[in-house]
Amino acid sequence: MAKTRRVFQILFLCFFIFLFIRARYPYEVGLGSDLFLRFSPLIPLFDLVSNLQISAILWPALIILALTPFIGRFFCGWICPLGTTLDITSKVVKSPDNRKSVDVSKWRPVKFGLLLGLIVLGIFSVPIWGIFDPLSIMNRALTVVFYPLSTLLAENTFRGLSSISFLEGPVFAAYDWFKMVLMPEEQAHLQQVAWIALFFGGILSLELVTRRFWCRNLCPAGALLGFLSQFRFYERLVGDACPQCGKCQRECKMDAIPQDDARETSKVECIECFNCGETCPPKIQAITYRWRWKPYRSVVDFHRRGFLNATVGGFAAIGLVSIGIDNRKDTSVLIRPPGSMPENEFLDRCIRCMECVRICGSNGRCLQPGNVQGDIQHLWTPVAVMRAGYCEYNCNLCGAVCPTEAILPLTLEDKKQTPMGLAYFSKDLCIPYARNEDCIVCEEHCPTVEKAIQFDEKEYVAPDGTTRIVKYPYVVRDRCIGCGICEFKCPLPGDPGIFVTSENEERLEQLPAVS
Amino acid sequence: MRRRHFIKYAGMSLLGISLAPYSKILQAQTSPEAVWVENGEPEQLLLAALNAFGGLNTFISRGDVVVIKPNIAWDRAPELAATTNPDLVAALVKQCLDAGAKEVKLFDRTCNSARRCYRSSQIEAKAKDAGADVELVRDFRFRDLRIAEGEEIKEWPVYPDYLEADKTINVPIAKVHSMSQVTLGLKNLMGVMGGERGSLHNHFATKLIDIDRELLPTLTIIDAYRVLEHNGPVGGNVNDVRQARTLIMSACVATADRLALDLFGIPVVQVGHIKEAYARGINKFDFDNLNLKKITLS
Repeated sequence: MAKTRRVFQILFLCFFIFLFIRARYPYEVGLGSDLFLRFSPLIPLFDLVSNLQISAILWPALIILALTPFIGRFFCGWICPLGTTLDITSKVVKSPDNRKSVDVSKWRPVKFGLLLGLIVLGIFSVPIWGIFDPLSIMNRALTVVFYPLSTLLAENTFRGLSSISFLEGPVFAAYDWFKMVLMPEEQAHLQQVAWIALFFGGILSLELVTRRFWCRNLCPAGALLGFLSQFRFYERLVGDACPQCGKCQRECKMDAIPQDDARETSKVECIECFNCGETCPPKIQAITYRWRWKPYRSVVDFHRRGFLNATVGGFAAIGLVSIGIDNRKDTSVLIRPPGSMPENEFLDRCIRCMECVRICGSNGRCLQPGNVQGDIQHLWTPVAVMRAGYCEYNCNLCGAVCPTEAILPLTLEDKKQTPMGLAYFSKDLCIPYARNEDCIVCEEHCPTVEKAIQFDEKEYVAPDGTTRIVKYPYVVRDRCIGCGICEFKCPLPGDPGIFVTSENEERLEQLPAVS
Repeated sequence: MRRRHFIKYAGMSLLGISLAPYSKILQAQTSPEAVWVENGEPEQLLLAALNAFGGLNTFISRGDVVVIKPNIAWDRAPELAATTNPDLVAALVKQCLDAGAKEVKLFDRTCNSARRCYRSSQIEAKAKDAGADVELVRDFRFRDLRIAEGEEIKEWPVYPDYLEADKTINVPIAKVHSMSQVTLGLKNLMGVMGGERGSLHNHFATKLIDIDRELLPTLTIIDAYRVLEHNGPVGGNVNDVRQARTLIMSACVATADRLALDLFGIPVVQVGHIKEAYARGINKFDFDNLNLKKITLS
């Protein structure tokens, strides 16, 4: 069983990465790249808590949740790509076994406390749970850290090799193939790299303390699944032959077997990795796994005190978020992808997985992981930064890959008519206004059918008495969709002569009716 | 030398001298300086124009590496006339290979996301089918080109494949342009330029011709099958497109451009960069005495 489990873990991890890589232009038919992300068991819970509904698109997670009371935390042990990454890390860093490591079992309730605190926050519509969602963590790290890193590595390797003259041809052929299959044409460079890398690196480095430290003690998804599996029907049974040698206790990834009694198993903690069966000496083979219709119950390691602490902590966090600065300058640059739901619902649904940022990276590359703007709610939500990229007129892929439809999957026609902002000229910088010379790069790139940037031709009399005709651009408000290509292409070196604000943005409650 | 021979040679040379202008006319009749073909499908237009020049082998030799530079700048469908007609490009690729070109490379530095432009314009698919090497431009490969005679631009990054090619064919689509009035052959060459091209936009004529004079193509083919008459260069509205069903070809890019102004009825004095091209003498032919061949297909 442990061997089968390992094969499945690797397969699921590869599948996760495969879907991740597929999330790019051209994005055509077949499996949606958001499929795996919708397996996250936390999404339906928080959909219920925040929106009092469970959306049908969350069926993959509902399958997991429906099976867990019967077979336990198999998701953690077999499917979760973060769990698999942690297992690989623990092999690399040689995590200490349960006897050698410091006793961290007192940390266990933290994950329940975290889940409860997040639920309290969710009830009051302060949805920050996505930051801790294991699948989001994984996807975020891939998008922001690992993918750009491997692009950098690959490109430099190819560039280095191509400088050797006789290798140039084949290397560029390989490079093109690589680009077609793996990397978008130009790597998007993303903000928040350091923090996301630290967050992910922190989780990985906890493997130095014990195996699966994150899953044992911190993961809110693990807490939810653990809570659901306390009565599970699939059990580990230890026969009379067991000499209590302690091998299985030592090897248990989750420390789910109490150190003083190898016959017990905590169903709340066990992730069904079947390592115990594998470590049990062949001559003894005391451990069997089977279905039983009268299961015993494992106690959830979370008591009234923890419950109170977490609830109070949750309320304190609500308070902290609510007293954050309300700065209109921040909201004016908080430009959401086209088709986003109204801000509150958007924040409720967004799981901070960065899938939209990922696919945008193969297009106009405007979407970035958000900063802490005023309060922590905006952290790692997608924000369009037009000086870094722009929204491609013919692209609607961010909505197509959003696992929770926080960004609605608009048709291309609808997307082109859904403004995400409005452009303003900064006339003390803009070249025609500031220097009375032609430029018009913004007007040239404006993609709308009726151009949103127009210009007046006026005669300018220079100090030396010569005259020339100069084109002075302006924005037609009701044509501008805020795509930001004008801001991106503005040839000024620093601050642009034209910039997009979130003014005029259109948020949608639901998909527009088919006309 | 005997008298008889003297008279014979003198007579012949006199005859030769007197016929010399005719020979020039004769030669001119067989090989025009520019060709204007109208009323045909893209491939027919191309073949007719090449025929008038005596085939593509007038320009291309066996074993040449040829670079074709179409306009693939925008993420637009061919019907919107923002990018060069893909059927024309494909036909040209085929002609180059038939003329014995060793390799036909095709690329453009795009304004929208490169892969989108290559795809939406249909140029990538059709040119590849015809046998061209269609490559995305790699930003790191641009090399700084010294421009000794540049008035404002002394150095600019240019794509090496273009500079290293044996022959280059410039295939713009005829469009109006908000800043430069029109975008034709001279402006289309911006697609092999790297760097921050937006900064060329002020003092555009001087800067463009500074760089263009180092990049003059072997042949310029202006695709005017569809012509974008408003909202250029990006377009986006089919109502701005006119079916002109025309093609203009010349070994001189400035000549081709100046001819193409007739499509829009814009006088050359209004077009700074074409004016500048003539003022600085990068034209190969005298426009007032141009040997132009006009062909109307039936």
